[in-house]
Amino acid sequence: MEPIKSLKQIKKVTTEYFTAAHMARQNNKKVVYCNVFTPVEMLYALDMFPVYPENHAAIVGARKMAAEVSAAAEGMGYSMDLCSYARCDLGSIKAGISPTWGLPKPDLILVSNCQCGTLTKWFEVLGRMYSAPMILIDVPHSDDGAADIEAEKYVRAQLVDLMGRLEEMTGRKLDEAMFKETIRLSGEASDLWTRMLELGMKRPAPITVFDQFIAMFPMVSQRGTQIAVDFYSGLIDELEERSAAGISAVKNEKYRLFWDNLPIWPELGRLSTFLGDRGAALVTSIYTWAWSKLAVSQDDPLTDWTKQYLYTFNLHFKSRVDNYVDLARNYQLDGFLYHSNRSCKWISQDVQEVRAAVTEITGIPGVIIEADQNDTRQYSVETLEKQIDNFLDMLRKG
Amino acid sequence: MTSGDPWKPFQDIINDQWQEARRFKESAAGVVIGHLAPDVPEEILHASGAFPVSIEGASSAVSMAQAHIPGYTCSHVMGTLDLGLSGKLDIIDALVIPYVCDSTRNLSHLWKRLFPDKPSELLRLPKRLEFEGARDYLITEYRRLYEWACGLTGNLPDTERLAESLKLYEKSRALLRRAFLKHRSSPDVWTVTLLRSLFVSASRSDRSKHLEWMKALPWDCPENTESDLAAVYLKGKVWDPPQLSGIMDELGMCLAEDETAAGHRAVMVEGVTNGDPFEALADRSLATIPYTGYHVEPTGLVNGFLERVKKSQASGVILLNPKFCEAAAFDTPDFVNALKNESIPNLVLETSARSFSVGQLKLRLEAFREMLGMEM
Repeated sequence: MEPIKSLKQIKKVTTEYFTAAHMARQNNKKVVYCNVFTPVEMLYALDMFPVYPENHAAIVGARKMAAEVSAAAEGMGYSMDLCSYARCDLGSIKAGISPTWGLPKPDLILVSNCQCGTLTKWFEVLGRMYSAPMILIDVPHSDDGAADIEAEKYVRAQLVDLMGRLEEMTGRKLDEAMFKETIRLSGEASDLWTRMLELGMKRPAPITVFDQFIAMFPMVSQRGTQIAVDFYSGLIDELEERSAAGISAVKNEKYRLFWDNLPIWPELGRLSTFLGDRGAALVTSIYTWAWSKLAVSQDDPLTDWTKQYLYTFNLHFKSRVDNYVDLARNYQLDGFLYHSNRSCKWISQDVQEVRAAVTEITGIPGVIIEADQNDTRQYSVETLEKQIDNFLDMLRKG
Repeated sequence: MTSGDPWKPFQDIINDQWQEARRFKESAAGVVIGHLAPDVPEEILHASGAFPVSIEGASSAVSMAQAHIPGYTCSHVMGTLDLGLSGKLDIIDALVIPYVCDSTRNLSHLWKRLFPDKPSELLRLPKRLEFEGARDYLITEYRRLYEWACGLTGNLPDTERLAESLKLYEKSRALLRRAFLKHRSSPDVWTVTLLRSLFVSASRSDRSKHLEWMKALPWDCPENTESDLAAVYLKGKVWDPPQLSGIMDELGMCLAEDETAAGHRAVMVEGVTNGDPFEALADRSLATIPYTGYHVEPTGLVNGFLERVKKSQASGVILLNPKFCEAAAFDTPDFVNALKNESIPNLVLETSARSFSVGQLKLRLEAFREMLGMEM
């Protein structure tokens, strides 16, 4: 198939981002390690530079370097059962092997645990390694997703505290105008990202989840900047043109599938070809949808972040199932591919019951494939292909 | 009270975990609430009129759970699910799951789906212990737990009754602290296994009865200041496998400290019994050595541990890490490095009920015991 031209810009965007990250300190910017579900807009408004160790680890995985650097982390005493992003990051530091010349040392480590508890512990290791201060935004899990007013107070108080601590650390007041502008740009990028995801609803789909995984980089690490907005504007224009011209992502699209969990980064190309050859298009995924809900209001962003962290990104069982049922309808899905990801227990431990619940409601079948987001030693790609092939056979036979 | 072996009541409960819960249910037709040990305040459940009982899934053989949860899950969570699926938790009417890690959070999701007739509550323990708002949130969570438990028993929440339960549990904890000291001074009589039987049975018994049984123990046995037992510092989630205490006794080891979640760690802080009981419970919890899934300043976490080890005068340290427990596995290398830098011998035991061999465990402990350089 004809490749999406806009995606070629990713290499340039990535290179420029990591160059700027390495230059940050020379440009009098403090480097902050963080995860996506933290208010990075505050960092920009204080002229700090956000760096995402997870993102670095994903690139390590996509470049098929995970086995080598993971082994270095295991040599440091980190168990092979730990998240492979963490092992790749720690092992990359230890071995001095990285596709991005490593990451600059942090002045601060900022993490929220609405995503998972693993990040907190991994970042604690980094905090000790670099003697960097660390701030956790602790987000309680309300189990069934019901409103928890006390938790809202608790989380919001931490965000107020965070702003004060960042101002203290930088010795400057938050630039209100820049804060609002960054929030506006984040919201715009998030809205564009959502529009791009919705294009997958077209039949045939002009973009697959594999392309979305590649397109994620600016959304993850450059939201709040014009770079992300420009990139997604261009991508959407191209996709709409392709769609109008009848160019589909997968030739002779026969099956429209959902992908659960993180990608298997080292196998993106291989699985994309494997599925494409069989007329199977991955048209949507919970993972790519996560970035669509990052917009907050300029008037009261702290309250909006509080609610996002508590109720949107906190992955409650019922809302997850409801979400999948909606996606099945909106994307006219034929099947679900559930990645039982050894590295992400947070998403994966529910997966057997999520599959059962979704199929009970929709009647749409799903298959669980056990693999790992990065560590090629934890799965056999041939076995995965066999399982997917059998599943497609089942769909074909109805 | 028995006139014979004073340790028998505790051993009976070890042998029959549900003995006391059954008695409670038969006599009072009351509500039995199970809980997964780390940091669930049993006095809240007790004050609601329920019978609280601790569930340790770690040592259970797993046969049915893998149909519902991936195999790369720790034994504690998987074992609890398996106990439920195999009917071994039929005696409990409800379950409290403390949110201490991603796996307990997911267990809560699965429990609600698989056991819709057995209510469960996820106790949302704050993780950022050094943030002042954590205390307020913890207090509201305790209040919520009390209301939930009272909703099951049909009693009205009553702060006075909670204060009475708190006093009872403080007395029990005080005596357990004394028992630990007794183990330190007379380890050949108050062996690891016997000491463990006190701690394990406490969370499976009516605390008033447990307190009475404990009073009959041989508190006046002579101290053995020249014991040649090797005192080790134990850190971990749960005593898994349970055979560990017997092997330690057999190999001539005793405990310099037990920092497992529901071990001496859980009782070592003396709480207050006057004032608001919810506040007292929160203060006691926040003063307790943090469980591995919580967050404190990272360097302080390691330094604090090292200081405690040195203060205990332990000959060595055993780190009990449940396989697939991410929180513990992230901490361990820095703990080990800190111990190595101080030349403190240490042993990391990665445990799992699914790949467990008593013989292998014993072999590793024998080698460690030899390393401690004392006669067996």
